[in-house]
Amino acid sequence: MTDQPILEIDKLSISFFTRLREIPAVMDFSATVMPGEALGLVGESGCGKSTVALGVMQDLGVNGRIVGGSIKFKGEDLCEMSPERLRDIRGSEIAMIYQEPMASLNPAMKIGKQLMEVPMIHEGVSEKEAYARALEVVTDVKLPDPERMLKSYPHQLSGGQQQRIVIAMALMSKPSLLILDEPTTALDVTVEAAVVELVKDLGKKYGTSMLFISHNLGLVLETCDRICVMYSGEAVERGSIADVFDEMQHPYTQALFRSIPLPGADKNARPLVAIPGNFPLPHERPDGCNFGPRCDYFEAGRCDAGFIPMEPVPGNDRHQSRCLKFQEIDWNAPIQVSDTKEKPEPGPVVLKMDNLKKYYEVAANALFGGGDKKVVKANETLSFEARESETLAIVGESGCGKSTFAKVLMGLETATDGAILLDNQSIGSTAIEDRDTKTVADIQMVFQNPFDTLNPSMTVGRQIMRALEIFGVGANDAERRARMLELLDLVKLPRAFADRMPRQLSGGQKQRVGIARAFAGDARIVVADEPVSALDVSVQAAVTDLLMEIQREHKTTLLFISHDLSIVRYLSDRVMVMYLGHVVELGSTDQVFSPPYHPYTEALLSAVPIADTSVKKKHIVLEGDIPSAMNPPSGCPFQTRCGWKSKVAGGLCEKEVPPVRMLAEGHQIKCHLSDAELAEMEPVIQIAAE
Amino acid sequence: MEPLTWTGAVGAFLNPVLGIAVTLLVVALIAQLVLGLFASPTTLQANPDGTLAASGGILGKIETAMKYLFLAVIALILVYLIAPLVLPYGMVGIIGEMSQRFLPVWIALIVTFTISIIYKRRLGLYGKLFDSTVGMIGFGLVMFWVFTALFVSVFDLIATHDYLTQVSGLKNKAPGVAVPDGTAGDIPHYLLGGDNLARDIFSRMVSGSTFVIAIAPLATIFAFMVGITLGLPAGYYGGLLDTILSFVANLILAFPVILLFYLLVTPEIVQTGIPSYMAAFLFVFPLIFFGVLLNSRYYTQPQKRTAILVPVLGILGWLYLSVINQKGTVIDFLPAWFDLFDITILVVFVSVVFVNAPTVFRIVRGLTLDLRTRDYVAAAQTRGEGAWYIMLWEILPNARGPLIVDFCLRIGYTTILLGTLGFFGLGLSSESPDWGSTINEGRKLLLIFAHPALPPAVALLSLVLGLNLLADGLREESLKD
Ligand SMILES: Nc1ncnc2c1ncn2[C@@H]1O[C@H](COP(=O)(O)OP(=O)(O)OP(=O)(O)O)[C@@H](O)[C@H]1O
Ligand code: SF4
Ligand code: SF4
Ligand SMILES: [Mg+2]
Repeated sequence: MTDQPILEIDKLSISFFTRLREIPAVMDFSATVMPGEALGLVGESGCGKSTVALGVMQDLGVNGRIVGGSIKFKGEDLCEMSPERLRDIRGSEIAMIYQEPMASLNPAMKIGKQLMEVPMIHEGVSEKEAYARALEVVTDVKLPDPERMLKSYPHQLSGGQQQRIVIAMALMSKPSLLILDEPTTALDVTVEAAVVELVKDLGKKYGTSMLFISHNLGLVLETCDRICVMYSGEAVERGSIADVFDEMQHPYTQALFRSIPLPGADKNARPLVAIPGNFPLPHERPDGCNFGPRCDYFEAGRCDAGFIPMEPVPGNDRHQSRCLKFQEIDWNAPIQVSDTKEKPEPGPVVLKMDNLKKYYEVAANALFGGGDKKVVKANETLSFEARESETLAIVGESGCGKSTFAKVLMGLETATDGAILLDNQSIGSTAIEDRDTKTVADIQMVFQNPFDTLNPSMTVGRQIMRALEIFGVGANDAERRARMLELLDLVKLPRAFADRMPRQLSGGQKQRVGIARAFAGDARIVVADEPVSALDVSVQAAVTDLLMEIQREHKTTLLFISHDLSIVRYLSDRVMVMYLGHVVELGSTDQVFSPPYHPYTEALLSAVPIADTSVKKKHIVLEGDIPSAMNPPSGCPFQTRCGWKSKVAGGLCEKEVPPVRMLAEGHQIKCHLSDAELAEMEPVIQIAAE
Repeated sequence: MEPLTWTGAVGAFLNPVLGIAVTLLVVALIAQLVLGLFASPTTLQANPDGTLAASGGILGKIETAMKYLFLAVIALILVYLIAPLVLPYGMVGIIGEMSQRFLPVWIALIVTFTISIIYKRRLGLYGKLFDSTVGMIGFGLVMFWVFTALFVSVFDLIATHDYLTQVSGLKNKAPGVAVPDGTAGDIPHYLLGGDNLARDIFSRMVSGSTFVIAIAPLATIFAFMVGITLGLPAGYYGGLLDTILSFVANLILAFPVILLFYLLVTPEIVQTGIPSYMAAFLFVFPLIFFGVLLNSRYYTQPQKRTAILVPVLGILGWLYLSVINQKGTVIDFLPAWFDLFDITILVVFVSVVFVNAPTVFRIVRGLTLDLRTRDYVAAAQTRGEGAWYIMLWEILPNARGPLIVDFCLRIGYTTILLGTLGFFGLGLSSESPDWGSTINEGRKLLLIFAHPALPPAVALLSLVLGLNLLADGLREESLKD
């Protein structure tokens, strides 16, 4: 390591200035990126990750300013550069990729033209040369049919393809530093896996250094060499991936790891531990250690005494921690398992789906209603049973029909065919207006987006009381108010929240109110549509635990819709995997998570980023994107991306929809693969022998 | 009595001072504009405590100078306004006396602003208005006219003479003219002169505000009720309903407004009863609106619902019948003792509602289209709420920001529209002191005597400007946080 670092950030402090106060967004942040090295920056939302990236780009807007420290790019201080030089460097040596691909693309310009502009403006190359280079990078980012791609407009591409174009654009100028700000958050898991793979390969091929910003520890493990954990504006720990993941030296890092489920670990021996409390707002940070109020090892008079510097961890290479007590803490102490609660055995069947179908008719010509009618098969022959106090997870990527299924179950849409039986009573073709109050109250839903789930102009208490009114609970307002306060207790919110407006609540708290509202009429079946995916990791565990606890008490049947297999494995009894409206695999959690798999389940499993260095994963990268449900492939829905297709003789996969096969008691898959081939499958996730 | 000059005895001293201050301010403004083109933007400077400091450099100096000059000009203007309170009658001329007449308005404004600024953190969007200079200026202008209308109509203050009395010899006389001895009135001058029927222009102008302030918001509210009641279902259900309603809205919008007004007031058309039927149709919407609003909210508790709904609908129904029932028109079936009032300007109402409702409809429809995809709407659907509850209690309150802004702008349009109607003499008596009619009166002799037309024009302009600034301020502040 004698070379000069590409990027050297030293004691950087960045503040935003508002009319009311200074907001210190980043404090005393140092990091070094060597040539060809990838540095991961992880932390919860609001901790200042993006501000660091924008600081490097010197793009902090009118009210942001670097108030201390320096950022050196190849030895030159970026803060002291002339604006011309800066512009030059930003265009040609540092490139940035944002979370939302469309934010970096001009919707009114063809892709080829946008790509060619980069070298034409910065290097003044000829149009022909620019075109050749554009073609080369588009091929490099593995887009099919590069020439056609160059001629299309951004909106004609899928999200994954757009993100690849953005990466291609960043690579056009052959930058020596690439900053990626949550580049895959807007993408599906299998697409995300492919994009991450691509970024990694390109980094190697072009020798580009990377600053990879993410909130997902697993992704950072897969892409980066070094990691820096941030908390509330400060770096709290940094070091090589192996050091930080296996020998963490900061209580926050430890708490973070304990709050995410690891598919490799036993869920009883390693329960999720939520981090208590909330993230402090920048102007409400405590004295001394920012993590103090939430830290298990907090020592009054010491941790809150004053500034805490980064200290090197003896024995490790460039491993540092911002904790006074890291050398005293016993890092190997086992997690204190709070009394494990026994889960009640699943009871009788309460919900039964029988050959449920939901087709949408889409008019080809909306204005005159005539013309061809296209049929979108959103759900195709869905059959399953759910029992009392059972958690059934429904897994699949966007567009697979999860939400449609939920809508039909709730009665917002009626089924095209088939039946839904609630306690042996058919409700599949009864729209919600025609259902009796009891049925409506029995099936309730928890929504995905916490910022959208509550009506912003009504107090929290009013919203819960409205649900009580509708479900006919309580004889008068006083009774309902009492019940509403009980519901707030149930979701562990202070009673004072009843009179708050939703905007005064954090994301996790709003999600709790959403849960309270769903349980207002003592719901027996709760559909949770990605209830925690929009929350910060440290709150996810708390909300998940809450859901499970209420389920235990109320014997609720939980239908848990998610794309996150780690969490699914942690909390569900049975798993149903969906792809393009078909149930491709259904079985108990153990059956689904161990071979034989359906090829799609296998790919999904391998796409999940796992934050555990001891886990070895089989790498399966799916080619291409999910086909549109308007225009599904013939035969097996998964055949366009399946890696096992060649093992089935006679092109059967392209001709016939595979039948549902029972592999074992309660385990069914939809695939043509022979029993022998299925038996050969290896586990995707393996724990390396220690 | 001597005629009054504009600034009176005090002016001889104050006028030059004000002139110098204004000139300097203009010079500084130009210097700033010119320098701003060349100087590089200065970066933000922070005080040690973290707040923002003034920017440095020559630009910063000019900015500071401008601030003081501006304050000086304001202070001088205040002197003109405050001096008449302590000096004897006539010392500060016409300006001083007008300021004196508006004294109740000044007091009301100061009280409103003081209270609002003290409690602004507790007053929601209204309170936030006081963070924006533009919004405060707008609010000040609007409230100036609102208070004027209030004091003129209710307490009979401000106006100096009766706005209909003609005093011989004062026809088209210039501002500040003295009235003959023995004329009824609070002061012995016509502050803004006499019009061509020898009436006091100042009194007509302030009386005219009553008309605008009472009619414009009311008519706009009606237009909003119609637009909301139709726009919500169009956006929420979509489909054929939406297509038909949108088409009708576009049709009305494409119809020339002035032609429509002429048609509505033509005696032949009035004879056929079309305006009355239109009124009967348009004014039923508030009834529907409140009926549905309350029913959807309380239908789960039938007793409470009936207790609330019956009086509300009863009163609204009575008002409705009184409004549409007019002597001598096709709708005249109520006994006289039951008919609360006759609105002589019904046709004005109908026209205003008719042309404004389609635009409101389109705004509401667009907002609904966006809001109906929210999760809280889905949550309401999954607990089996009725469509009208969702539209009125889940969607409408969250569309209020843009709607309030549009409401302010629309009162402005309506004010202009009322002016236009008055200008063409449509639906109003020719004696009416409203600004539109007065401008039209003054227009006829504009080249010889400009002063009768100007005051109502300035009044109209300041009110509409105020409403627009208010809307801007609201929009700006509602986007923050
Ligand atoms: N009202 C509708 N009209 C036509 N097609 C629809 C309609 N609703 C859903 N679809 C189609 O049905 C398919 C399944 O959609 P669905 O919303 O259930 O997917 P999803 O798995 O919930 O996706 P995500 O995770 O992104 O929410 C999609 O291809 C979608 O385009
Ligand atoms: S300094 Fe104290 S409070 Fe902060 S992380 Fe270390 S032990 Fe916890
Ligand atoms: S049926 Fe064929 S294409 Fe479909 S999943 Fe099985 S092997 Fe793959
Ligand atoms: Mg969905």
